[in-house]
Amino acid sequence: MKETIQKLLKIDRRYLFLLLTLSILIPILKPLGLPNKSISKDVQNVYNFIDSLPEGSTIICSLDYDPSTAPELHPQATAIVKHAFKKNIKIMVLTFIPGSTGLIDQLFEKLPAEYGKKYGEDYVILPYMANIVAVITQMNSNLYSIYEKDKDNTDLKSLPMMKKITNYKDIKGVVNITGTAILDFWVAYVGDKFGVPVMGGVTAISQVGYGPYLQKGQLKGLIGGMKGAAEYETLIKEPGKGTSGIDALNVAHLLVLALIIMSNLVMFFFK
Amino acid sequence: MSEGMLILGAWIAAALTLFLFSFLYKDNPFFKVAEHLFIGAGMGWYFQTIFYKIMIPKIWEPLNSGDPFKMFMVIIPAILGLSLMTQFIPKISWISRYGFTFLMGYSAGMAIPVGLATDFMNQILGTIEPFSAFFSLTPWQMFNALTIAIGTICVLFYFFFSVEHKGAGKKVSNIGIYFLMIYFGASFGNTVMARFSLLYGRFDTLVNYSSAKYFYASAWIVVGLTLYFLAEKIFMSAKREISQ
Repeated sequence: MKETIQKLLKIDRRYLFLLLTLSILIPILKPLGLPNKSISKDVQNVYNFIDSLPEGSTIICSLDYDPSTAPELHPQATAIVKHAFKKNIKIMVLTFIPGSTGLIDQLFEKLPAEYGKKYGEDYVILPYMANIVAVITQMNSNLYSIYEKDKDNTDLKSLPMMKKITNYKDIKGVVNITGTAILDFWVAYVGDKFGVPVMGGVTAISQVGYGPYLQKGQLKGLIGGMKGAAEYETLIKEPGKGTSGIDALNVAHLLVLALIIMSNLVMFFFK
Repeated sequence: MSEGMLILGAWIAAALTLFLFSFLYKDNPFFKVAEHLFIGAGMGWYFQTIFYKIMIPKIWEPLNSGDPFKMFMVIIPAILGLSLMTQFIPKISWISRYGFTFLMGYSAGMAIPVGLATDFMNQILGTIEPFSAFFSLTPWQMFNALTIAIGTICVLFYFFFSVEHKGAGKKVSNIGIYFLMIYFGASFGNTVMARFSLLYGRFDTLVNYSSAKYFYASAWIVVGLTLYFLAEKIFMSAKREISQ
């Protein structure tokens, strides 16, 4: 018995990779429909903030993620944009990551038409810009000194949506979706300094680190990982990639839990 | 985008993903190809974005605008930026110091005051603030306030090395370790969730690309890779037998 158990402990790790693959692949091929019942306070706060904005308000969506974190963050961005469009809130999209420009194009390829929104009137996409600190601090005095044109080289001031926007005073809030530390800059240089409400959407890895900002109210809300995206999709009643991923995540988590418990029991009883 | 390009894109995306995953079985030439392509394509994309979105509109166009004010506003930063490139020429690399000096001064000036306010003063305030109206808090809020305060003090003490950690000090330091372990545990749990989410994202795409619309791209590539590994195994064992 002991020998068999010891052999099990030395199992080729490639079998574990295979198990993990199956645990994620099977729920994709045959969805289990596991519910996503819990909504965290931080995600609810983001939802409440956007939901309470008056129609016609403008928010900044800083979408700073590239394909490496897209499975977690793209569903978050999609849910936020859908919610804003539903509430007739105007969106100014910007980015400080070169890799996210293609994902932004992909996001706004079909969504606006589904909600009857027009470019320049309901949303605008600004081009990639380097040096975030210089850009976001300068935007407080005059947005157009940094962004003269939109991503397609159209004069920004000529767009109807931009007629009433000069600086942060005309912006109701910032939602930064990122897999980097860019959210820290938004909190420090825009939230704390100019009093603009800042909310975030981050990868599950960085979610824990934002606890202090949430506790102090420097961050008004936070969406964390694919779970956060699923929660937001539940709140806006628009199931998407976040919700469909919950099945796979739950099964994979159960597998990891089982492996951890099994390995510890074996080590405890047979070492 | 045309239908043909979409299908081609799906085949390339599926192939590159599966080539990279194949490393989990063992190192192989397909993995190497995908790895190098990833670095090359990534750098190419970054370069063209920075060139067309920053270099052209922010440097080239103002310099060619004919407006002396615009030219003046760009020329000094551009020279400072170019000075950094002299790092590649050892004889004149000293020029880069001017660029770096500017960068250091600018970055420190921007970061220090804001960093102190956001990450230092505000966090101290956040830890102390609940105690100013402690008895008006709910029991749960009291528990939270105490946990945060005790956790902060104990962890800070754990990293304070000028006092020997013994007696009561050791106990405080040990409590700090427990707080740190809880943080690491939470971080690790979230890391696992994040990695699984990324894996789900790729698998979801692969399943999508294995549909008839994309001519079963993922499935064919999996079959191809499996055949390669089988053939390699047979070839290697035959080679071993011959050499013996």
